[in-house]
Amino acid sequence: MSIEPIMAIDPGIAQLRPDAIGLAPVGLSPIGLSPVNGQSFGQMLLDGIADADRKMVDADRMVAAFALDDSVPVHQVTYALEQARLSFELMLQVRDRLLDGYRRVMDMQV
Amino acid sequence: MQALEISRTALEVEWRRLEIIAENIANANSTGTVDGVAWRPLRLLSGPRADFAALLKDPAAVRHLSGVEVRGVVPIDAPPRRVHEPGHPDADADGYVTYPGFDHAAEMVLMVKTARAYEANIVAMGAARQMYTKALELGRRG
Repeated sequence: MSIEPIMAIDPGIAQLRPDAIGLAPVGLSPIGLSPVNGQSFGQMLLDGIADADRKMVDADRMVAAFALDDSVPVHQVTYALEQARLSFELMLQVRDRLLDGYRRVMDMQV
Repeated sequence: MQALEISRTALEVEWRRLEIIAENIANANSTGTVDGVAWRPLRLLSGPRADFAALLKDPAAVRHLSGVEVRGVVPIDAPPRRVHEPGHPDADADGYVTYPGFDHAAEMVLMVKTARAYEANIVAMGAARQMYTKALELGRRG
């Protein structure tokens, strides 16, 4: 009985590389303090907060609309609430980590 | 958040589908309409928002999946049911009343399928939400 030689991997699989299907390769970007896409880190944070706030206002509006007129499908209300909750939680996590980093720097023994 | 958005579009479609089924059941015994034409049961048509051919050609289009959408509502091509009821106010000259060609069993089956599809999308949405929440816990201390 002969053992089959190991075959080359199907070349088709090469097309499944992350960059081929449009995913950015994961890796460290060079460290630099220059703003990314002309946007500073602080601005990014502010944008994130504004986005979370917008979702909460949207959810609030949906609840009010549902209370006034129940022809609004209820899943639209719960979806808006869930979106608002998730982005709020993301915001909290970012804040926690920022504060944690700040505190660790402040606790540094000089 | 794309998974949530995809499931949301499906919830929207299934909700509309249920409304159409409710309309059909409500009109199961309708004999007359405003314009005089016999009422025909409706079907909601739905399809993917993204162009399937484009998805096949360009693998990068996978990033732009956008769920499902309502393609339209069309009356089904079923012959109306004609019943001999000469005393009925909506009876025609020969004494026949025209009822919609409504298949009760098929409508019920579709209704259950719609309700289950709605539930399945809620579950998919819950899984996406759970994954998102879990991802927030990544690297959290204490």
